[in-house]
Amino acid sequence: MHQDITILIGGAAGQGIQTIGALLAKVCHNAGLFIFSVDDFESRIRGGHSFHLLRISETPLSAPCFEPDILVAIDTKTYEYHKNTLSSHGIVLYNSNDSKKAESNIYNIPLELLAQQAGGKIASNTIAAGAVLAILGAAFKDIEQVLKEQFVKKGKSVLDLNLKAGKSGYDIGRKIDSSFCFDFTLVKHENMVMTGAKAAALGALAADCRFFPFYPMSPGTSIISNIVKYSDQLPIIIEQAEDEIAAVNMAVGASFAGVRSMTSTSGGGFCLMTEGLGLAGMSETPLVIINAQRPGPATGLATRTAQADLLFAINASQDEFPRFVFAPGGVIETFDAVKKAFYLSEKYQVPSIILMDQFLADSAKTESGVFEIGHEHKSFLEQETKLYQSKDYLRYKIIDTGISPRRVPCGSDALVRASGNEHTQEGLSIEDPENRSVMVEKRFKKLKLMKNEMAQPLVFYDNSSFFLAAWGSTKGSVMEACAKLREQEIDAGCIIFEDIWPLDFNTIKRLLENKKLIMVEGNATCQMGTLITQQTGIQFNESILKYDGRPFYPEYIMKKAKQIMGY
Amino acid sequence: MEKTKFDIDNENQWCPGCGNFSILKSMKNAFITLDLEPRDLLLVSGIGQAGKLPNYLACNMLHGLHGRALALATGAKIANHNINIIVNSGDGDCYGEGGNHFLAAIRRNIDITLLVHNNQIYGLTKGQASPTSALGMKTKNQNHGTISNAFNPIATALALGAGFIGQGFSGNMQQLTHLIVEAINYPGFSMIDIYQPCVSFNKINTHAWYKSRVFDLKDSGHDYSDFKKALQLVHNKNHQIPTGIIYKSPGIPFHERLDVLKNQPLVEYSFNAAQLEKTLGIAQFDKGDNQ
Repeated sequence: MHQDITILIGGAAGQGIQTIGALLAKVCHNAGLFIFSVDDFESRIRGGHSFHLLRISETPLSAPCFEPDILVAIDTKTYEYHKNTLSSHGIVLYNSNDSKKAESNIYNIPLELLAQQAGGKIASNTIAAGAVLAILGAAFKDIEQVLKEQFVKKGKSVLDLNLKAGKSGYDIGRKIDSSFCFDFTLVKHENMVMTGAKAAALGALAADCRFFPFYPMSPGTSIISNIVKYSDQLPIIIEQAEDEIAAVNMAVGASFAGVRSMTSTSGGGFCLMTEGLGLAGMSETPLVIINAQRPGPATGLATRTAQADLLFAINASQDEFPRFVFAPGGVIETFDAVKKAFYLSEKYQVPSIILMDQFLADSAKTESGVFEIGHEHKSFLEQETKLYQSKDYLRYKIIDTGISPRRVPCGSDALVRASGNEHTQEGLSIEDPENRSVMVEKRFKKLKLMKNEMAQPLVFYDNSSFFLAAWGSTKGSVMEACAKLREQEIDAGCIIFEDIWPLDFNTIKRLLENKKLIMVEGNATCQMGTLITQQTGIQFNESILKYDGRPFYPEYIMKKAKQIMGY
Repeated sequence: MEKTKFDIDNENQWCPGCGNFSILKSMKNAFITLDLEPRDLLLVSGIGQAGKLPNYLACNMLHGLHGRALALATGAKIANHNINIIVNSGDGDCYGEGGNHFLAAIRRNIDITLLVHNNQIYGLTKGQASPTSALGMKTKNQNHGTISNAFNPIATALALGAGFIGQGFSGNMQQLTHLIVEAINYPGFSMIDIYQPCVSFNKINTHAWYKSRVFDLKDSGHDYSDFKKALQLVHNKNHQIPTGIIYKSPGIPFHERLDVLKNQPLVEYSFNAAQLEKTLGIAQFDKGDNQ
């Protein structure tokens, strides 16, 4: 068995839970271990209950784990909330001045007291991190190195305090017997720890995105925060718009003028963007929107996760027009999906929507995949040629593919006219019924070609007696659940949709026919299942639905799948 | 009428006698005065009778959604600040539906020219009150009269620190042409609120009504660099309408505030794979720093 440990660090917002998690993650990452972390936090800056789940393994991880082996309880609430999820051999590091142990697996550590002894209460997180890392088998020099990296900028006294605190915690941890040891002998590796939000930001850069207007909304904002850091090195402008309506319209305006543009938001902001989405559809202007989903409707649960905007994304805005919708299943998948979204949006002059969610955006994982720039930055803008003179230019020229040559305004004598009103080939408003029909058909001509660009769903363990079918960020948890069910000799397969729309449903129908489907989705009405039925006539058999605002964990999916299959 | 290089062969949908014709003509005159070519111009508009204008002119055009022209134009200008961008909007489009964008455009000092065709009524939707309709104005949909005070665009723009504010009147094309020339020449956000009659729906603010109230600020010796005097003008209680440049003062346009745009427009940067690789390389290996 590979070592695979989960640590839960819980406390009130503002207590530095994420700081502990980040320290642990860095030390483990340096040693070549694989991590997967989830942040669970409330929509508040101080107080309440937050926790950070950190799973560490010797082998690559694609999902989080909900049953901690080490529970770091900064406050009593954390212990009360999570004691029942502790794994069978789990231990608790309890922030308490009490020297008496309540249970044999509970270790009281007076974090603030020890930190004060080290020189300052502020270092209590470093005490906790030191203790956990000792339990995990790290050498103190490994911790020292990371603490130095982290605190050297803050001056010698801060660094010394943290080194002292780290050592104090480490010495306590050394005294705790556990079976949670890893091999921390430093190995060279080129893996990276990355969140979906960061992967999305990098994907946009790799696709030559240069303009990113946005309006802050959790969890869509984390994508901006990740791109801002690079805006001094690359020609990219990030502008906080006055609202989401402005953000999407600014993106359309810039895109029309020849600059690749993207905006990111969450469901509520996406609602405000839908008319602008329609403008991109009608004016055939490339546009990329990331909707990092959260539970709704209305404000819903601001800092939580959901997969409930699928059918909305496919249908958003008035009337009908072709669009791309992607729902990447993981970190590198997000990088690739954003690149692809840009590329195809430019190629077909249609909007692309990427459905992420809070879980995917904020969770960090060790990624060993290759992040390549690729060909997606390739321009499809038409340049003036001798064969094609400006006077002949028609922005909405009717051609077989439906994809009229696109030019930027003021680049040549060709007058470029784009419009959200129904228009002639020249781009001028017209209400003529015949023209209207021709133009609707022109826009939809692209659909056939667009379908060919989309990847088929991934099918694992074909010929299984049943399939867990999921889309987007649930991919990792479903795949792990599937693999673990098979270890238990349960004949489960899985099907993962990441390219969502438009799909060639004739092929999908052949793929899904005679398969027993259990849909696994983060919504209450089984939206992907509904879409499959609507498009193929195939009925899914059962569903595992979750709409509590929290992500799917493999254990949960396994439990539910077993119940459904009668194991 | 004399043909110009800005004329195009497209049927005009405005009502005969509409003030928009004079605005369109003044624009063409201004473009000719400025020696501009159709290829140099990007006209951005929203929805309403004013929003149709770019369809009647030889120019590049982005005809967008109701109220959103300024946001579209802002995006286009950020992408390519070498383009001359003019936004045609109306009192409903700009001050009603697009009010937030109006405020933001002034704050950004984005270097575009906003022409608001202000007829104090909704024309395209057939005669409802607009943000600039006078309090108590009766319409089909406000049958007891409007119950909100009128929006004062000039006062709002002044308060927000707009650097070029003009008041035009469609009945004075010579002055309007001059105003448009000055507005286009101004580096930064320039706006001209243009009073115009709506011959179909506004039976109060008619051509004659405006004619009897407007006066040219040039004749009154107004110093448009004087902020206090400009404020006094817009709170004019004697029901006269001052026209001309209300206020003008230099400011730093949005694109000059950004280092990345100092040397060239955003659209002209070529894709730099080497720099990107370097950046992505850094990005990939800043270990664990993923918050």
